[in-house]
Amino acid sequence: MISVLVTGVGSPISERLVRSFLADTRVKHVLTCGHLPRAQALTLPESRRLTYLQVDLTRSRRVRELVFGPARDLGVEVVVHLAQHRRAHMGGRKVHKLNVEALRAILDLTDRHPTIRRVVVKSYAAVYKVGLDLPVKVTENHPLDLSPGAAQYVRDRVEADLTACARMGLSRAEIVVLRCAEALAPGTGSQLYDLLEAPVVFRPIGFDPMVNVATIDDLVVALERATHGSGEGVFNIPGFDTLPLTEAIRKWGRPQIPAPGAVIQPLYELRHRVLGTDFSYGMNRRRMHYGLVMDGTRAREELGYEPAHPVDWPLGGPIGTERPAPVT
Amino acid sequence: MLPPRVVRALTRALGNPDIADRRARFRYQDAGHGFDAFGLHPDWVSFADLITSPLYERWFRVRSYGADNIPASGPTIVAANHSGTLPYDASMLWADIYRHTDPPRAPRPIADYFVSGLPLVGTTFARTGTVGGSRGNARALLESGELLMLFPEGTPGIGKPFSERYHLQEWRQGHCELAIRHRATIVPAALIGPEEQMPQVARLPGVGQIPYIPVPATLFPLPVRYHIHYGEPMTFHERFAPADADDPDIVSACALEVKAAVQALIDEGLEQREGVFR
Repeated sequence: MISVLVTGVGSPISERLVRSFLADTRVKHVLTCGHLPRAQALTLPESRRLTYLQVDLTRSRRVRELVFGPARDLGVEVVVHLAQHRRAHMGGRKVHKLNVEALRAILDLTDRHPTIRRVVVKSYAAVYKVGLDLPVKVTENHPLDLSPGAAQYVRDRVEADLTACARMGLSRAEIVVLRCAEALAPGTGSQLYDLLEAPVVFRPIGFDPMVNVATIDDLVVALERATHGSGEGVFNIPGFDTLPLTEAIRKWGRPQIPAPGAVIQPLYELRHRVLGTDFSYGMNRRRMHYGLVMDGTRAREELGYEPAHPVDWPLGGPIGTERPAPVT
Repeated sequence: MLPPRVVRALTRALGNPDIADRRARFRYQDAGHGFDAFGLHPDWVSFADLITSPLYERWFRVRSYGADNIPASGPTIVAANHSGTLPYDASMLWADIYRHTDPPRAPRPIADYFVSGLPLVGTTFARTGTVGGSRGNARALLESGELLMLFPEGTPGIGKPFSERYHLQEWRQGHCELAIRHRATIVPAALIGPEEQMPQVARLPGVGQIPYIPVPATLFPLPVRYHIHYGEPMTFHERFAPADADDPDIVSACALEVKAAVQALIDEGLEQREGVFR
């Protein structure tokens, strides 16, 4: 029986994960925190095994009070760090503090914490560099996107990922980094989901990269397995669905218009300014030209994770698959 | 980009029973939506079979020798000489392997990086099995038991001047390293004919990712006859452990063996043929 601290509660993934932990008899208590009041962050009913705290993780003092306060008192053994700003167009110091400094603070504190023995960090496929001279199917050794022109959304994720990786083997706690495929669902910060939600999808003419997308159900399974597992390392967490971008657009039921990139960029910029949507063509330009599919061999062999939940495509799912029951 | 259902309809309308039979027997690793992880789709493979047929059967009148040396399954690398200004040799070798393996194996050509960056071309090639020439792509394909088709001479091979025909250019070694590390069989292959199909008279500077623009003496390839010879399989992985792939001397020695085998097949093929067009 372990107690778990889940940070960054307020997204569909965190909500599903907390539900799953509450249903898990191996979990004694779930301590959760987010920047919103409880009523907005969690729709779960009150439970003796669940504690929610409204904590501003951008303030190091608040992080310390959380980790050496309730987390110590409850004997938290595993931290599942999900706190990341989800909007690509948001930037600045405050966002950086949440995306990177909060994790750095948690890792620092964990090193001298009496009960925490494991930190699971949810990272992103967006950290990987994409290019025509790079493999399509990427392992954990694939180059990260450290290009100076990368958006803060990407830079922060790479920095957070590397911050966690740099502590592996040096910290008292085991550190696990899960580089997760995009979950094609609302509220997850998925750029592809935002793209597909447009009434018409503009894509680069002459290119049709392979994409891999996950479901919340699969990501929750991966996070659970990492929570209960042992050892540390970096793991790719691919989704069930691997298909070309044009097929994804078609199966999502959207008309698509191939166009030159010079035309697409201002169109999506205009869409963002007028409608407040989040998809950034500039940030995803290379991903819309060259494919990236994560190789999940290491996660399968060491965590026992295998994607099993296909996306519920409006116009037809994967061939020969039946959608398994969702994780509750 | 045509969707697979359109490509399938075209192939059915214009194809013949042999193409349909090969399509029916073709097996691949479906990643779930009909495509493999690299973008290959069986209907596009069959379409490529269709569109290479006139060139294979009527224009270049390909003759194949020793195709039974190609393993029916398992990680395999077919290493061949490269020439001809434009890569008709690659498409004919692709078609020949697809036609002469049972069940049909769609070779995965390893192309230069710039190919993946060409609009339409890169995607079309990917649908028929071509992948960019990165080590990671080759590793992933060999680990899943695919057949790689590569030209160790690289772009300098296809761009060699007419006077250099049938003289192998600098022979890269990566294929041997891959074969030892990933327990793959190497099948040496020699293509006789393509080195005369389109004599190159000049080169213009490249544009963007394209290294150069060839200026051939003819607008279309000459109807030379292709003779494709496959040599005995080379099983370096039985002689060396995977860790030996890190030893440059071993890799270099293996690459020289492959180069010598290809050169021997070329010499034998040139001796056997009765003329460039026959």
